[in-house]
Amino acid sequence: MKNRFIYILLIASVLTSCFKDKGNYVYTEHEEITVTGIAASYDKISLVDKITIDPTVTSNKPGAEFTYWWGLYETSVQGAVPKVDTLLRTKAIDYLVVQPAKGWVLVFGAKNIKTGYTKIVTSNINVITQFTRGWYVAKTESGKTDLDLYTTPTTILPVGKVENVFSLANGRKLNGKANSLRFYSDYKSLTGTSFLNTRALFVVTDEDASVVNIGTIKEIRDFNGLFFNAPSIKKPDILCNGAQSFFFINNGRLYSIYNMSSNTGQFGISQMINEYNSDYKLSKFFYTPGFSNPLFFDELTSTFYSAGGASLQLTSVRDAATTKMPANNNNKNLLYLGFKTTAAAFGVFQDKTNPNLRILSTITPNINSLLMINDTLAVTEKLYGATMHTLFNGDENMMYFVVGNEIWSRNLSNRFEQLQYTVPGDESISFIRHQKYTVSSDAPFNYNYVVVATKKGDTYVIRMFTKTSGNLNPAPAFTITGKGEAGDIIYMSPSVGGSTYPNTL
Amino acid sequence: MKNIKYILMATVLLLLYSCKEEYYLYNDIKRIQFGPDIARIYTPSYNLADTTKGYTFFYDNASKQIDTIFFDIYAIGGVSTKDRSFKLEQVAVPGAENAVSGKHYRPFNDASLVSKYMIKAGAVHTKVPVVMLRDASLKTTTVTLKFQIAENENFSAGEPSNLWRKAVFTDRLSQPNSWDAWMTQYYLGKYSVVKHSFFIEKSGQKWDNDFILLIRANFAELGYWKGMVKAALITYNAQNPGNPLKDETGEIIVIP
Repeated sequence: MKNRFIYILLIASVLTSCFKDKGNYVYTEHEEITVTGIAASYDKISLVDKITIDPTVTSNKPGAEFTYWWGLYETSVQGAVPKVDTLLRTKAIDYLVVQPAKGWVLVFGAKNIKTGYTKIVTSNINVITQFTRGWYVAKTESGKTDLDLYTTPTTILPVGKVENVFSLANGRKLNGKANSLRFYSDYKSLTGTSFLNTRALFVVTDEDASVVNIGTIKEIRDFNGLFFNAPSIKKPDILCNGAQSFFFINNGRLYSIYNMSSNTGQFGISQMINEYNSDYKLSKFFYTPGFSNPLFFDELTSTFYSAGGASLQLTSVRDAATTKMPANNNNKNLLYLGFKTTAAAFGVFQDKTNPNLRILSTITPNINSLLMINDTLAVTEKLYGATMHTLFNGDENMMYFVVGNEIWSRNLSNRFEQLQYTVPGDESISFIRHQKYTVSSDAPFNYNYVVVATKKGDTYVIRMFTKTSGNLNPAPAFTITGKGEAGDIIYMSPSVGGSTYPNTL
Repeated sequence: MKNIKYILMATVLLLLYSCKEEYYLYNDIKRIQFGPDIARIYTPSYNLADTTKGYTFFYDNASKQIDTIFFDIYAIGGVSTKDRSFKLEQVAVPGAENAVSGKHYRPFNDASLVSKYMIKAGAVHTKVPVVMLRDASLKTTTVTLKFQIAENENFSAGEPSNLWRKAVFTDRLSQPNSWDAWMTQYYLGKYSVVKHSFFIEKSGQKWDNDFILLIRANFAELGYWKGMVKAALITYNAQNPGNPLKDETGEIIVIP
């Protein structure tokens, strides 16, 4: 028995003697290469600006000799592996930016050839063009829609104007009356041989639609090209996003693109409302938090639906136990539905049987448990007769609305209504919006405005009001005017992403 | 007691040894066997792919009287400095309408094919052509041509599971290879000639192998076409109350 233990010990010691000692007994100080002179980010105009940098490179090892290289790769790539393009192999770079407008990463490498140690430094390059920053106004003249660009080189206040940039870039205008502008940074367009994320602006009218590359305003797809099989009736209502998908309502029917799988930027077949493919007509009012499936409303059945981008059929919405109004067959017309936060919406309804009955509804837009708390509007309340509405995106709990030529506010917590602004008598209100831009890396351009757009003769007037405690300040921060009637306005910058602005009316 | 212990140990060892299968070493003699497309030879899940290929003359002009489908074959045991012929022979499939040599397909020993059934010098792979003949009987039947490798002076048989291939062809509408189990389960449902004809009629597309391969490369487009034919089927059934579209066996047609 004792012998057995001795044998085991002997075998164990023989086995352990086979292990190599891989310990690191080098006690010299690690090399530290320091690179200075490269900023964290640069804005560069494609085909105009150069990247001109001469960094300082030092090492704590004496006698260091370096080799250098510069590379560039694009960001926000989906469906392909980004490739680092080597630009040059010198310490200083003086490189004309030729890349298309979007985000890129500049890579600098310094290698000490004596030690083999390399230091890598990166910097974000926002490649821009004259089109990538400024206020875009979708406006209509003589039944045709175009874009006016108000340039903002140093602050949010416009200092220059380029009229009709859509037709300048594409040689034609869009048919119909300007309806809405939507921006997405991950719309797939053909780039080389692959469909890759593209910073794209959708221009939607009541008869037409187009998606353009924001770096060039060149059209990526027209209305027909946006669909595998374009609807025979061109009657766009809205475009929105949600749950990695894009949704397009045309003539009340929903079309979608699921954007997390490879796609060509084309909308598929119109989604069915049920297994019998019954008729339906979705309202132009909708709610989407952006990251989950949106909430739509069928005007024919007065029923809320949701939808997935890859689905062929709308999804039923279920009631919360405590809801005051059913999500299905509630016998209402939807006069307005808007985004308040990613967890709250407000709607204004009118009863179909008794059109005099109007309701303001506070909505918790959970499609599995839709909660609507109703507040019946008295005829005497200004909101009762409102024709346009907007909610403050994440700000004060207020709704702004239009009655005739007046802009009113309603405190959604206490029902207090207040006249905020009366447009001049020779103007009629085209739309109101609350828009804000709070990207910290783009601070000089941050803003928070209530937008009041009017039509005055053959011109549009857009007043951008700041607000204090939910009330408009007496004079607008600035006003822009142009030819035609405005349908929508959006502020674009290289820092604007697909989720910067809520998709809402 | 000691003897019993040794006997038990010997038995276990024998049992373990007996579990060992006889594996080909592939470095003894030259062998030949079928395999997947050359792009898939290092993908184990494709080891048994392409055993059966379907084809129809249905979409072709009447002037097209022959066509060829190809299978992949691999020599094993290294290359040779000389061309090496291999030999194929038909195997009857019980219960199937077996293809008739000279009527439905060009015989494997046809003079025009002898040079094709050859592993070229310096190579280990070639495409095996099977030349199908558009006989009038294919308008009403679907024939099966199962064939296997026959050993010859150049090659012995390779892996048993890869010694045969099957071509199933007709001049009628038939299930494209790309309408496979995955397409059946998730997109198109069970194949039937009636369903296939309905798809063609409603979409204006062939729904042949090339078309399905094209659309399944893009989920969005695949979803579009599925939705298109599904909506058409719903419309058809709504227009024919109580008489939904049924396949050739009388089963109601369903698209998942």
